[in-house]
Amino acid sequence: MDDILTSNLNDTIDSIKNNDNVYNTGKVIKVNDYNIEVIGLNDVAFYEEINIAEKASGYVFGIYPDRVIVALVKINEEIKPGDMVYALKKEFKCLFSLDSIGKVIDIFGNDLLAAKKFDNLIEINVENKNVPLMDRGLVKREILTGITGIDLIYPIGKGQRQLIIGDKKTGKTQICLDTIVNQKDKNVLCIYVAIGKTKKEVKDIYYELTKRGAASYTIIIASFHDELPTRTYLTPYVALSIAESFMLQTYDVLVCLDDLKKHADIYRQISLASKKTPGRDAYPSDIFYTHSRLLEKGCQHKNGGSITILPVVETKGGDITDYISTNIISICDGQIVLSTKNFSKGEKPAIDYGLSVSRLGGNVQDEMMKKVGSKVRIELLSYLDVRQIYELANMDEMSEDLQRRLKEGRKILDNLKQYKFSPRSKNEMISSYDFLIKKDK
Amino acid sequence: MVVGKIISIFDISIEVILSDNSVEIGNILVVQGEDGYAFEVVSINNISATCISLNSTRGLKKGSPVVKLSKGIEFEYSDKILGRVFDSYGVPIDGREIDSVRKRNINNSTVNLKDVDVTSSILWTGIKVIDFFAPLQKGFRMGLLGGAGVGKTVLIKELIHNVYSSINANAIFVGAGERSREGKELYEDMKSSNLLDKMAMVFGAMGDNPVSRSKSVYAGLTMAEYLRDEKNQDVLLFIDNIYRFMQAKSEIATELKQLLIENGYPPDMANEISKVEERISSTEKGSITSFQAIYIPADDYNDEAVQTITSYMDGQIVLDRKVAELGLYPAIDVFKSTSKLVDVEKIGERHFKLIEEVLRYLTRYKELEEIIAILGIEELSEEDKRIFYRSRKLRYYFSQPMFVAEPFTNIPGQFVKIEDVLLDVENLLNGVYDSVDESKFLFIGKYHE
Repeated sequence: MDDILTSNLNDTIDSIKNNDNVYNTGKVIKVNDYNIEVIGLNDVAFYEEINIAEKASGYVFGIYPDRVIVALVKINEEIKPGDMVYALKKEFKCLFSLDSIGKVIDIFGNDLLAAKKFDNLIEINVENKNVPLMDRGLVKREILTGITGIDLIYPIGKGQRQLIIGDKKTGKTQICLDTIVNQKDKNVLCIYVAIGKTKKEVKDIYYELTKRGAASYTIIIASFHDELPTRTYLTPYVALSIAESFMLQTYDVLVCLDDLKKHADIYRQISLASKKTPGRDAYPSDIFYTHSRLLEKGCQHKNGGSITILPVVETKGGDITDYISTNIISICDGQIVLSTKNFSKGEKPAIDYGLSVSRLGGNVQDEMMKKVGSKVRIELLSYLDVRQIYELANMDEMSEDLQRRLKEGRKILDNLKQYKFSPRSKNEMISSYDFLIKKDK
Repeated sequence: MVVGKIISIFDISIEVILSDNSVEIGNILVVQGEDGYAFEVVSINNISATCISLNSTRGLKKGSPVVKLSKGIEFEYSDKILGRVFDSYGVPIDGREIDSVRKRNINNSTVNLKDVDVTSSILWTGIKVIDFFAPLQKGFRMGLLGGAGVGKTVLIKELIHNVYSSINANAIFVGAGERSREGKELYEDMKSSNLLDKMAMVFGAMGDNPVSRSKSVYAGLTMAEYLRDEKNQDVLLFIDNIYRFMQAKSEIATELKQLLIENGYPPDMANEISKVEERISSTEKGSITSFQAIYIPADDYNDEAVQTITSYMDGQIVLDRKVAELGLYPAIDVFKSTSKLVDVEKIGERHFKLIEEVLRYLTRYKELEEIIAILGIEELSEEDKRIFYRSRKLRYYFSQPMFVAEPFTNIPGQFVKIEDVLLDVENLLNGVYDSVDESKFLFIGKYHE
């Protein structure tokens, strides 16, 4: 904190010595919920940081010939028309501390559980430039979740974006937590980003992770619905900027974004408030870009570091074909679809194996996992198809071949059942399907 | 020379008050003394110009003076494009410099009606389901439609593998609004299989701003036109994904505060699409055969943009989530996939009759599925049972192991000749394979010996 203060102060003193205008000032003319209109601020820059006296702060959101729109990210005190506004002559940035590991933080360098600011803060860009195409490597190292249905059938690679999608109460967050816990002693930094979760939920997640020894390598970044929407909107971008700074130092980072449907809704709220023309389902036209540029931060860098992203999307009535879901599916490198029906049948994790996809598939697996995985997947899908047709048929009258197929299919499915926080190793996964592979020989 | 200064900034939409009347639509303005910002003029009145920014506008200052560049967006128009990778504005992004020989503006170009060539030979892709249901001709515009995550990009890659590497033509790949990861993979694939030297790529990835995403298509067209018009070549043009072009245009229209039509598309959508698709034509100098992936937003096949784009297609392959759910890839909806070549006079009576018969079987199969769900399979008549089992085999038969999907499936890819497909299908329909278990038809090439 001191460093920033000192350097800011020195800059200001230098400017005064040069007889420059230290601040560009203006006056509030209109106050909306979380954006204000300002006159003055004559040579302000887009995205410049703005202070409204001691009362609030924000950044430049739009510049018109006669006025400037400022989006607020912090409000300490009510703002009134006529209040003085100062442009700080620098781009709006967020704060982060390296002490954040094991803590619940926000994007302004606060330790939320201790309710205080960290001491050694560094500034962090809200968004960095995209990693150039040629700096990207191929995604081919696996990241293990410990869940058979994922690691074996729809594996995730380091640098992959794998969506977790399903209705309420189907175990979406649980898959994130399982994955984080399974990274213990694997040199992966985990960042769990809570977007619009309740405070209770975030605290539960914190306890779950701490209890299982995951705190030593996990950062929880939280934003809540009772805060300003701009803040919630910015949170995942800042989280990925933080992830990027680690990736560039060759770390492997895992980021869970829980969840992006809420993020889309917050962005819709902000867009409509700023009078952007609504498109499909009243979302603005750039809702795709809002998420595509966020999720494109996931990558395998050629320096060896990587960012793996597990975005979460909540659906209604099991419909994964709504606008936001399909947008995000089309950005990601695959999806794990969770179904309420499977969940209530006790088939947990409640993965819908027909609708789930990994676009990288066997590319990230070792030979043995790949061999067993592709076999299990094909047999399983063909079983699910056959099962539907013969649901009403009498088992005793079927050909032996068919009876065997149905029995084997049942066994494949049963093998995939797994309770939370009970990870399996690759060997356990492979050996549980010996019956399928041996038959082939 | 300074032509004006910036008075308004709202994301990518910029307003410049003009001090000079030389500014025209399509001009590129840059900030004097500062790198990294560039704007394209999209409309002018007598005091100001509205521009869209080619890059991010973060840190751009109100009041900044702007100067006009001598030319609009130009792209290399010579053999130097081959083997190279560009961004949408013509800057190479493969880490090597380019010695420019000749450049051309990416926007202005049309083909006259008198030059359009419509006669050509059939082009087989080796993909059973495409060659059977939607065969294509050189010079065709083929649309590959599908919702999110049903396999459009894999199919495009398979077509690059089968068509580009076998017919020895030049190829242009346009990555519009798609994943950087896939772009990098394609580049590495092409490099390692020594196919890069006859290909050029341009990327406006999904993380790039909408202007870059939409311009990538014009850039690709410019390169394809070079090969057709100056080198008299037959060119393959792969666009992944043309819907993203329209989507980017919608974002730009929103930023420019235009009034939009349903679902947020710009009112001049039909013009925009037409300007692109009409450039993809064959002339007597050479042909452009294009494969265009078309994303279906929200699985809504009737989406206005999708329908507008498909009206320019000579053929379409539609991918279906329900088929993908069964693990049958390529997950093609055979009822919606077709081409202008499906005509007795063009593909011959045998092929045509077989298509009709297969569709009749599969239509009945759909109905039977519903009956079975209620009554069970035992209640069907012998005739229906036959149709049911044969249809299931047909369905399995039209899956295919693909070369580019080998890493997922662990099954080596297969190129299947059309004669083999016709014979297999004929045998299936005639009951020659009635005693063969259906699983034997899953992920194979040809069946008969």
